Amino acid sequence: MREEAGKVLFGVSLIAFLVLTWHPLHAQDANAGLSGTVTDSSGKAVPNAKVSVKNLSTGQSTETQTDSAGVYTVSNLAPGDYEVSASAEGIGTSVSKVTLAAGAQQPLSVTLTLDQPAPVTPSAAPSDNLPNAPSPAKTEPSLEDLGFSKAETQSNTAQQALLDKRTRMLKIHQRMGLITTIPMIASVITSLNAGGKSEGTASRDLHVALGSLTGDLYGITAWYAIRAPRIAGTETRGPIRFHKAMAWIHGPGMILTPILGAMAFEQKNNGQRVHGIAQAHGPVAIVTAGAFGASLLSVSLKF
Amino acid sequence: MKKTLPLFLLLALSSVHAADHQWLLKQSTLTYHVSHPLHQSEGVSHAARGKGICHDGQCDFLIAVPVKTFDSGDSNRDLHMIQVTRGAEFPMVTVRTRLPESAAGSATVKADIEVQFAGQTAHYQQVAFELVTQGNETKISGIIPTTLADFKIDPPSLLTIPVKNEIPVRVEMTWSPQ
Repeated sequence: MREEAGKVLFGVSLIAFLVLTWHPLHAQDANAGLSGTVTDSSGKAVPNAKVSVKNLSTGQSTETQTDSAGVYTVSNLAPGDYEVSASAEGIGTSVSKVTLAAGAQQPLSVTLTLDQPAPVTPSAAPSDNLPNAPSPAKTEPSLEDLGFSKAETQSNTAQQALLDKRTRMLKIHQRMGLITTIPMIASVITSLNAGGKSEGTASRDLHVALGSLTGDLYGITAWYAIRAPRIAGTETRGPIRFHKAMAWIHGPGMILTPILGAMAFEQKNNGQRVHGIAQAHGPVAIVTAGAFGASLLSVSLKF
Repeated sequence: MKKTLPLFLLLALSSVHAADHQWLLKQSTLTYHVSHPLHQSEGVSHAARGKGICHDGQCDFLIAVPVKTFDSGDSNRDLHMIQVTRGAEFPMVTVRTRLPESAAGSATVKADIEVQFAGQTAHYQQVAFELVTQGNETKISGIIPTTLADFKIDPPSLLTIPVKNEIPVRVEMTWSPQ
């Protein structure tokens, strides 16, 4: 009786062992693999590129990196459809789709390119909570259906970097312009005691110091505007046209004013009355300050 | 034969019911409004394209417009707007919604919409639109209550004062069935 029970127990154990071990062993045999080389747009192998292999049925991802020869290998993949994403910082990205057959060792080499199109597929999760939100149905129209060209929908990171640089520089230009107005107004005020019949040198020295500071700050302000990147294909429209036109007045004015001021300063220090072309120092300075103020207001206030 | 005929008719009827038809955006005006203590600016685009595909009584709409087509009348401001909204990196604004076909006959409709802009996706629920049908065309107008924060956009500033967070977008579109 005990011998019989032992045989039954052994039989059950054997069946259980076979049932438990057969499936994984079978699955392992059927598992596929993926390997290939990641190259950049010039065909050069990219070491340490990140490679992600995503099973489109289960959503499960396997990640790896390329070796020094740019080669990656992913094994033990179940048969099915996969999305293979590769990326390397500063080199580019690539997304490919591949179908793996059972047991196949699929070769897939990818080329990284910059400026991949921006992802346009909406996230499905939040929509699930909305009663009449966009559906994930295949009937949903796509950007391609609307007939936009690739150039219109393609991400341009280089252009974005250029725009970022332009904005950074113009922000400094704007702030420096505002700061410049302080010594500029002060130098206009101190000019009342710096010239004419005034014989004292203290007011004149203060005026010269403020004028010099204004010139230096103006130079920095102008440099950030002039050196800000130009965006190709942009037609200048609106108040910025007036802002730029004013620069043709206050720019030369900011060069002439200190030259004429230096001549007037020298004449005054020699005990002379300001004469000749140096007499234009005041009017030129006023026109320059006026054009500068108008330039500033044109982009600050809407008329 | 007697048994298969009704089945055939039923299948035929259901296939007619499930047949797709489409709506096409004929004209559009999209206007964003930016508020600043010193400025009130608007940017307008007429470059939107849109399509609606109807299936089983429901229509999925997609409207897309290139960011760079918004014109505020000031090229400098437009370039700044493209920069802050990362318009070169994410050049399209897309709006998606799903509406019942029966909505075409209503005077107003409330839609849950999804907006993709500046690399972000925002959802707006129960946005009211007015509908006017004239002949073969349906005109839709409404305001989408977008904000800069919805799209993680840092408010641009003028004279160190930032613009308001609210940038409502007025939508005026003319659709026609295909």
